[in-house]
Amino acid sequence: MADSSSTTKIVLESNEGARIDVERIVAERSVLIKNLIDDLGEEAVLAEPIPIPNVNTAVLKKVIDWCKYHKNDAAQSADDDNDNRKKTTDIDEWDQKFMQVDQEMLFEIILAANYLDIKQLLDVGCKTVANMIKGKSPEEIRKTFNITNDFTPEEEEQIRRENEWAEDR
Amino acid sequence: MSNITPLRRAPTTGGVGTGKMTAATTTTAGQKYHQHSTSILKTLQATEMLDTKPVLPAEIIATILDYLPVPDLLRFARTSRRYKEMVYDDTRWVARLKSMGVWDEAEARKRFEEAVQRRRQQTISSGVGRGQPIPPPSPTGTTKRESLFFDADLEQERRQHELLQIQLQKQQISDLRDGFETMKVSGGGSGGEPPRDVEGLLLVVKNARSIRGHARQEYGRIYGALAPFYFDLVRARTHTDPLVFKVFRDPDRQARMLANLRSFARSDWADGAEGRREKLEGMTGIFESAVLREFEQGYEFWDVDGRMKKYAHVLEVLNPGSSAGVELFIQKHPIFADREVLANAMDCVNQAMADSITLEPSRRFFEVLGRKVNEQGEIIGRIFPRPQRVFWGFVDKVREEIMVEYITPLFDDAHQRSIPSYLRAVSGIFEQTMLFLRTLTPPKGGEVDQEARAKEIALRIFEPHIDLYFQDEIDTFTAQAEREVGEWEKKLSEQEASAESFYMGSFANRQADKKDFLTSFKKVVMMPVTVLPTSLGLPIGSPFASSKPAATAAANGGPSTPSRAGSPAPAGTPGDRASSPLPGKAFADELAAKAALMTSRLEGIKSLFSIEVALSLVHGAKASLGRVAVFIQLGGQVGGEAREMCETIFVTLLRILGNGHVKPGFDKAVTHLSQYNPREVSEHEKGGVAPLVTFIELVNVGDLISQMIDVFYEQQLAQPKIADRNDFLDPAGMAKKKFEQMLDESVAAGLNKGIDVLMDEVEYICATTQSPTDYNPGGISAPDSILSGTIPGMEKAPAPRPSAGAIDMDIGPSKTAQRIKDLVASHTSMLVGSTDKSMLDVFNGEVGLRLFTAVCKHLKRQRISTEGAIKLIADMNLYFEYIRTLKNKDLLAYFKALRELSQIYLIDAKHAKEMATIIADGDRFGGIFRAEEVYEYAERRADWYQVKREVERAMYGLECCVM
Repeated sequence: MADSSSTTKIVLESNEGARIDVERIVAERSVLIKNLIDDLGEEAVLAEPIPIPNVNTAVLKKVIDWCKYHKNDAAQSADDDNDNRKKTTDIDEWDQKFMQVDQEMLFEIILAANYLDIKQLLDVGCKTVANMIKGKSPEEIRKTFNITNDFTPEEEEQIRRENEWAEDR
Repeated sequence: MSNITPLRRAPTTGGVGTGKMTAATTTTAGQKYHQHSTSILKTLQATEMLDTKPVLPAEIIATILDYLPVPDLLRFARTSRRYKEMVYDDTRWVARLKSMGVWDEAEARKRFEEAVQRRRQQTISSGVGRGQPIPPPSPTGTTKRESLFFDADLEQERRQHELLQIQLQKQQISDLRDGFETMKVSGGGSGGEPPRDVEGLLLVVKNARSIRGHARQEYGRIYGALAPFYFDLVRARTHTDPLVFKVFRDPDRQARMLANLRSFARSDWADGAEGRREKLEGMTGIFESAVLREFEQGYEFWDVDGRMKKYAHVLEVLNPGSSAGVELFIQKHPIFADREVLANAMDCVNQAMADSITLEPSRRFFEVLGRKVNEQGEIIGRIFPRPQRVFWGFVDKVREEIMVEYITPLFDDAHQRSIPSYLRAVSGIFEQTMLFLRTLTPPKGGEVDQEARAKEIALRIFEPHIDLYFQDEIDTFTAQAEREVGEWEKKLSEQEASAESFYMGSFANRQADKKDFLTSFKKVVMMPVTVLPTSLGLPIGSPFASSKPAATAAANGGPSTPSRAGSPAPAGTPGDRASSPLPGKAFADELAAKAALMTSRLEGIKSLFSIEVALSLVHGAKASLGRVAVFIQLGGQVGGEAREMCETIFVTLLRILGNGHVKPGFDKAVTHLSQYNPREVSEHEKGGVAPLVTFIELVNVGDLISQMIDVFYEQQLAQPKIADRNDFLDPAGMAKKKFEQMLDESVAAGLNKGIDVLMDEVEYICATTQSPTDYNPGGISAPDSILSGTIPGMEKAPAPRPSAGAIDMDIGPSKTAQRIKDLVASHTSMLVGSTDKSMLDVFNGEVGLRLFTAVCKHLKRQRISTEGAIKLIADMNLYFEYIRTLKNKDLLAYFKALRELSQIYLIDAKHAKEMATIIADGDRFGGIFRAEEVYEYAERRADWYQVKREVERAMYGLECCVM
């Protein structure tokens, strides 16, 4: 019963109206969709496509790719995720490759993961962004993320001095 | 890429710090364009163009920041004000301190409150005096924020002060350090750095403070101190490379530094942290095993206060939870190969007599072991920083390696040889074990409940044996008890066959016997609980054993002669009782022989069950109970099981004693009683119905056993809190109640039968001993004693007169009445003190009522003359007086009526009219007799036919008048 229901096809609809079939188990990587199915019941979900209004087709496809690959991962329970996230597990190889997209797409994926409530994908995204920041000077960071410097040079120097202890020696 | 509507991008999360990565850019860029061109369209275009970059909400950015290594994080803070705020957020740093385990929430709160207080005081005292206008504490929510800042200021001051001091110290230390080259930072790359405060580096984690608003600075201090070592270690290729081992040469400091680094590593969340931690763990492992080797070498030389102590402390510092050194110490401890300690368990069996066991060798074994372990405990206290844990680990090992090895074969062997010695061994060794564990003197420090530990260890040793032991204990006890009862029964049947019987005591000193018996029983019970009673139920019979042979001797000496010697005086009285016309003679005829047999059997009633058997059962139970009860102190499940086992033993005792011994005895006695027929018994002079007397004796014995059980219950179960007296569901209490109930029922059944028998006897006496002349002296005796030969029919007025003189000599009650009264009284009084009050009342009531019926019936068979009436009245008075002693009101009414009734015979025939009035007067008899009944009794007057007409006339006077 559980097996058959986990392979049931569910239709997701992007904000552009494109419909994508996914197995239920894949779709349920998203806590948002999982809760939706639990609340509405399978029949209601099967009858109509689930609209995903905040995600466009390309990103949705990408996200579903990730979900397919990770469909058999143990679901992270709500309690230990805080702890687990702190105890950083490094990004695995597949995910690293998966995240080799342009910055815009990366942000889109993060936003979609956030919206669909896929914790692990969100984590992978955040880590990837963190890796992008790593080793960059403030000016480079600003460039990468389009941040405007609203410090005076003195202020910036002040902050640097405050945190001198952290600089690599 | 398709167009993305800006609407969707709008961050949905409200609140503080809802920073958009591009938000700032958008606005500023917009302004820039404004300056270049005023065209609104252009501006819009520009905005659109820049906006194609997606926006990440603040919470996601916060998550990203978590994954950044510290230096990158702080560089990120330099990008803009918003991100600086985000990075500087105190909670971010508190979290890191927490992950290192150095953040103390309570301390932080305390500092905060102190700061608030200080601030208030300053506001009050200095006020404007400081020159700087300090804003008065605003009543609204801003207080907290302000005070937080203020607190921070204070901390700043304090910090500067401390910094000064530290620098002072540094100078001192660097002066001191001249001699210790090795301690200097020798890393070539960091040559330009000022010499570090080595001790400060070591203490940096320990000294970390928890101050709200300053978590970043605190973490900074730690990071500054440890990060160089940390990253250096991670980069190091061999174990000699890391700076840690170069800067610190002393293993103690190296260990402390490594421990610091380990806790620091926990705050490293950045990518690749796992690998770094592994590396650190690996280095630590190498270091640890090196230390362990040193410790082991010290161990081999038994260098307790030198190397062993030193390296044990290093290990403790390095890894507080680690047990590597401890395990090494315990595993390789020489005590496990010590010849002196390892005794042969078989000594206990071999040194004892056949099928027995002596626990002296085991006691010695435990003594030696205890001494050795305590010695080691002292040494452990010298070596290890936390000796308690090590000591108990050591004791545990001793349990496993030495004690179990000693105990298990001993038990197995004992079990094979003989069960009783096995039972004694288990209980005895357990006691010795507990003693041993309690005498252990663990090293000081740490609060470990020694009693609980001791119990736990004892439990582990005995757990495998305890089930078997309990089973054997109860089996042995049951078997023993059943054997005992069986033997008794066998003996009894033998006795019956040979028709032997004996009396154990007379009624007179029964009470005294009982008392005597109870005291001796108490003594037995109170006997100091011999842990290992020499042999089950050996000395117990002694107080009674003496009485038994004596009684047997008596029985053998003159078999049943004493009882039969008192031959019946009124032998040969009317009835067809041909029984023993010539008493004292051998029982020639068949009937007499039968009667004698009957008597002997009835006399044997009280030997249907015996106190001795009961006592030996109780003693066996006590021995078992004593052995099992020592396990109760273990508590927990096994303690509970032991407690249950105690109760089970008690229940078994009651079951065997009650159902197996007492009840069949009673049943048999009742059967015997019901077979009793007074007409078949030869002698009636003894003043008692033999079977009833013996039965009542039996009741006494039963009562005694019941009391014995009660004492046993109180002392063995209730006092040591094995059974709860107030718990009505308690199996022991229930069994006890059931036993008592069974006893009561048996007694009641017996008494019921007994009353029948008693009444049979009463009727028999009435029928056989009451001579017709008693109540009618003038009647039958006339021909004999009175020469004036009047016709028996007409003894109206003058005739009895002369004879009256002769008869009036004896104005007291007749012999028959006397005997009946004595008989009944002796039986009722026998029960006093042995049965409970209510049952006694019922019994007396029943006896009285039946006596009344019997007397009435008897009366109706008599013929009573006016002269005889005096005797009758005397008889009735006698009954009445007797009944009064029973203190039963209802009963008294019957006999009162009987007394009144007897007066109708006194009325002279001339006063027939008055007689009629009395007959008709129902009140006179308290409603016991109706007029018709009284009339019936009046018919028994000797001169009835003379007075009948008169009486009837008076009674139905109206009719006469008409005539």
